[in-house]
Amino acid sequence: MNFHNEINKDIKFLAKSEIRLKILSELYVQPNNVRGLVKKTNITYSSVSSNIAKLEQNDHIKKISKKYHLNPISEIYFKTLMDFKNSVDLIRDYDGFWDKHDLNQLSMDSLKNITDLKDSELIETTPLDIYKTHNTVKKQLIKSKSLKAIFPYLHPEYPQLIENILNNEGYVELIIPKGIYQAIISQIDLKTRKNASRTKNLNIYPVDNDLKIYLTISDRSMSLGLFKNDDSFDQNRILISETEKSQEWAENLFRNIKCEVIK
Amino acid sequence: MTEIQTKEELNDEFKNVKYILTSSMRTKLLLTVYESSKNLEELRTELKKPSATILHGLKELETINLIRKSQKYYELTSNGYLLTTNMIKLIENWYSINKSKKFWNNHDLSDIPDDMIKNIYLLKDAEYENSTTSNLSNAFNKYIDLLSKSTELKIILPIYSENHFKHIINLLDENKLNNLELIVNKKIFKSMKQNTDLKNALLKNSKVKVKCIEKDLKLFLTCSNKFMSLTLFFKDGLYDDSEILIGKDKDAMQWALNLFKFFSD
Repeated sequence: MNFHNEINKDIKFLAKSEIRLKILSELYVQPNNVRGLVKKTNITYSSVSSNIAKLEQNDHIKKISKKYHLNPISEIYFKTLMDFKNSVDLIRDYDGFWDKHDLNQLSMDSLKNITDLKDSELIETTPLDIYKTHNTVKKQLIKSKSLKAIFPYLHPEYPQLIENILNNEGYVELIIPKGIYQAIISQIDLKTRKNASRTKNLNIYPVDNDLKIYLTISDRSMSLGLFKNDDSFDQNRILISETEKSQEWAENLFRNIKCEVIK
Repeated sequence: MTEIQTKEELNDEFKNVKYILTSSMRTKLLLTVYESSKNLEELRTELKKPSATILHGLKELETINLIRKSQKYYELTSNGYLLTTNMIKLIENWYSINKSKKFWNNHDLSDIPDDMIKNIYLLKDAEYENSTTSNLSNAFNKYIDLLSKSTELKIILPIYSENHFKHIINLLDENKLNNLELIVNKKIFKSMKQNTDLKNALLKNSKVKVKCIEKDLKLFLTCSNKFMSLTLFFKDGLYDDSEILIGKDKDAMQWALNLFKFFSD
């Protein structure tokens, strides 16, 4: 079996005990002694001290002038383990968003950096507000000076939103199915379009293949939508975020898909 | 807070990670099905375990919606696929760290940003070279040799080393190098300006871009079009020229480029 098929025994050693993980996460923030750790974590003195001993035995921590310090390598072990924990939490927190949805259009890179989407908000339509997802994106776009988007379908309001951005001298880059290219273009005012193509502010990449993802990147926010496993677009859920990390994540995904479809 | 409350909170915080990572059967099932969907027979052959054990593990993973059964074949659900991809990343991260364990453990890593650490798996094919008592400059020679094959270079240079400058200037003089981007701290930048040779060869050279930053970085990073390399400082603050991490694959070079960008942007 190659290394892909083994969870290393050190990973197991750390993951097996919540107390050890808690101690590590405290020492990661700052070196401490047993008494200090007891105070911080509310774990009993005996549990802390026995687990400290085990961590020391396994070379994860070291006592330097009365305080326990994480060894540099354990600090990186710990960071990568917490990254995994965050990915597990993120999958669970947005369970309905991922579950039974098609993830094939997400690049390996995007999947492996899924924790960048931490602190996103899952917007779901409700029987009282069935346009909640669309209206949320619309709100993001109305205020934005730029737009990069992958639209797998055409919403009747998109041409106007795009036109507004262009009229404000904003930049628009779209990846869309060939089938909706004419429909979008023909609804944007001719003068605006000509102007934008002269200033290179409007770039559209029509593609033959099916696009199985919905993505918008505006000035300060992003939104992500997925297709269900039955090939229909899930109009009832989008993930939105305003964090810098998620913005970069979305840019990266956009770039990857653009490279793929432009070939 | 009572002890029971503490315990419950702790359980809640880490229980999912613990549940997945501590069972060999569950992790192996996820990793095996990740490659391709499989039926019970195939799983039995691959994992060399009795049906009952495998079925039990599958049941557990079905319950938490990571695996599903579709016409006798077991496959990952979307959640399972996302989780397993990240579990493989964790395994590769640890593999990558352990491969150059001494290198990481010996040095000050505080200037390597968290995002780089989380993607340290990109360095899994990088090799760590050290100098030996019989060849004291092994690491340096390897570096210079690789440097001479480069046409594009981006370097975070935390040391003022005439030896390094000499080789870089040679490459520029011989027109081998088309582009050089340097990130240096204020002290080094000042010293460069005071040295007439360096000033003429580097600071006044149109192929060279020098960026001066406030921070006194404790890492020596090279991104070339042919390779990447990293050398670090000891925890006591001294530069270590005896150990170098060298990567020639796309992933390692991407990692280095991301790190360079982190400080140049």
